[in-house]
Amino acid sequence: MASVRFEDVWKRFGGVEAVRSLSLEIADGEFMVLVGPSGSGKTTALRMLAGLESVSDGSIYIGDRLVNKVAPRERDIAMVFQDYALYPQMTVFDNLAFGLRRRKVERAEISRRVREAAAMLGLEPFLERKPGQLSGGQAQRVALGRALVRDPQVFLMDEPLSNLDAKLRTQTRGEIRRLAQEVRTTTVYVTHDQVEAMTMGDRIAVMNDGVLEQVGTPEELYERPANRFVAGFIGSPAMSFLEPADVAGLGVDGLPGDLVVGVRPEHARVWREGLIGPLRGVVAYVESLGRETFVGVDVGDARLVVFEEGRAMYDVGDPIEFGLVGSGLRYFAPDGGAAKTL
Amino acid sequence: MTSRAEQTLGYTILGLFSIIALFPIVGIVLTSLQDPDGLAAFGTFDGLHFSNFADAWSEANFGTYLRSSVIVTTVVVVIAGVLSILAGYAFGQMRFRGATVLFYVFLLGLMVPMEAIIVPLYYDFREWGLTNTYWGLILPQIGTSVAFGTFWMRAFFRGVPRSLVEAARIDGASSWFTLWRVLLPLARPAVLTMTVLLFMWTWNEFLLALVMVSDEGLRTAPLGLSFFQGRNTSDLTLMAAGSVIVALPVVLLYVFLQRHFIRGMLAGAVKG
Repeated sequence: MASVRFEDVWKRFGGVEAVRSLSLEIADGEFMVLVGPSGSGKTTALRMLAGLESVSDGSIYIGDRLVNKVAPRERDIAMVFQDYALYPQMTVFDNLAFGLRRRKVERAEISRRVREAAAMLGLEPFLERKPGQLSGGQAQRVALGRALVRDPQVFLMDEPLSNLDAKLRTQTRGEIRRLAQEVRTTTVYVTHDQVEAMTMGDRIAVMNDGVLEQVGTPEELYERPANRFVAGFIGSPAMSFLEPADVAGLGVDGLPGDLVVGVRPEHARVWREGLIGPLRGVVAYVESLGRETFVGVDVGDARLVVFEEGRAMYDVGDPIEFGLVGSGLRYFAPDGGAAKTL
Repeated sequence: MTSRAEQTLGYTILGLFSIIALFPIVGIVLTSLQDPDGLAAFGTFDGLHFSNFADAWSEANFGTYLRSSVIVTTVVVVIAGVLSILAGYAFGQMRFRGATVLFYVFLLGLMVPMEAIIVPLYYDFREWGLTNTYWGLILPQIGTSVAFGTFWMRAFFRGVPRSLVEAARIDGASSWFTLWRVLLPLARPAVLTMTVLLFMWTWNEFLLALVMVSDEGLRTAPLGLSFFQGRNTSDLTLMAAGSVIVALPVVLLYVFLQRHFIRGMLAGAVKG
């Protein structure tokens, strides 16, 4: 096991800056999720850590060792790829054993470790099968197993769940989390899915446009987003924003006139005393999940999402009167989007 | 959806072209089985005379010619095949300075016909003492085969998912190991298709053999067939029997490898 450290790391592809001045410390045994929209540089950062991309500038450390110029196989890492990258002509056993054989581990030891990993992942019945004869979920577990048997310093995972269907994804999410806790190996996990990030990460690093926007625990990111991007990216449905002009048009007390107001759905409720408001709008859409309902409401030029417990009976075009929970609101500078307090 | 009429039309056209393609081949085979003393006419039939093959074999020295062809073709296909796999791997999977320019140089080898280089090649080889040797046939054909083979294998290696190679790298495999143990098993259809094509082209090469060798013992089968034809313009059945003998190895190889061959062709078409 080892810690991982990015120090002012840059990656340039020709004229494009894919990663800009990334500094990030990942503690020994920590499960760190890199999350961001596509093109945010999260995968590039992971590939630099793996040694699959060169580092244009800056330093990457695994433990105390500077690895900028170290070949991937010398870094003692294991990676799980989005498309699994199983060797199609080899059996599951050989896939799992491949890395150990390349490292000249003894036969008996290989067999022991492969069987141990297979047992952890429920792969024993499939050891003699080829990847083509496996379901997506099984192939995914073989990919995990291949990383697991190696017992590396760091696990790297590049969107390992994105090829699974929704149900299997939820299930495997839990499984990866459980495995990581069991083996206590430092893990760097890349995803574009903020739900994955929130449910799996000890800490989350939010990236956007090559820049690290914020690092923190899921709770910190949700409760105290550093800027408007993080606020809008973390949380589902996303936070809505009222620009200063929108606020001026509302004509209610309790909102600042010079800041962007961020409102999470659970802080916009049907009107009752004690809320900031009332605000009046028109229903734009209704997303009813049974246990809860999210109502999209147009208020002037802005659109807010209003939360209601249970089913709510609205039709598109209905007028609606609602208010905001003052303590839940977040404020951002109109230019730059940095978080502000009142 | 294709309608019934479209389907019928399709089959009619395919059938027609099949007949056009097959007619001369069937004609040659039938002719080779005819009574040599009968009124030989192209494509007619009166009983089977397998003795024609034995006669052609002994009269025209096909044993020697076929041996030369087998030696030359085997050496060319094996060496060119291995070199093509290595070069294709480099062009398809590795990033290095000048890769594009170098690849175009290889492509040039595909575009220049043998006729264009045969005369200077002959003078060079005569100076180096390579005319009238197997090497005079083998070396130029390795050159032209590698041009095609590299192009072909590069297309395959480009189609291999990058992550597979990267996974092997992280798992501790060298480039060499990755090529032979991870990628080549997947490349089997592509390699077999390349083998059949190179075998066929090398086997049928005529001009180079005509120019480079004069020794009877070094002549390849197509060249031998041509000389045989020069001596036996009248004996159609023997000529046909000789042609069948010369063509047979290519046909046999194709029959054995055809399943892979077609798969390889498709793979090349989709990924290339």
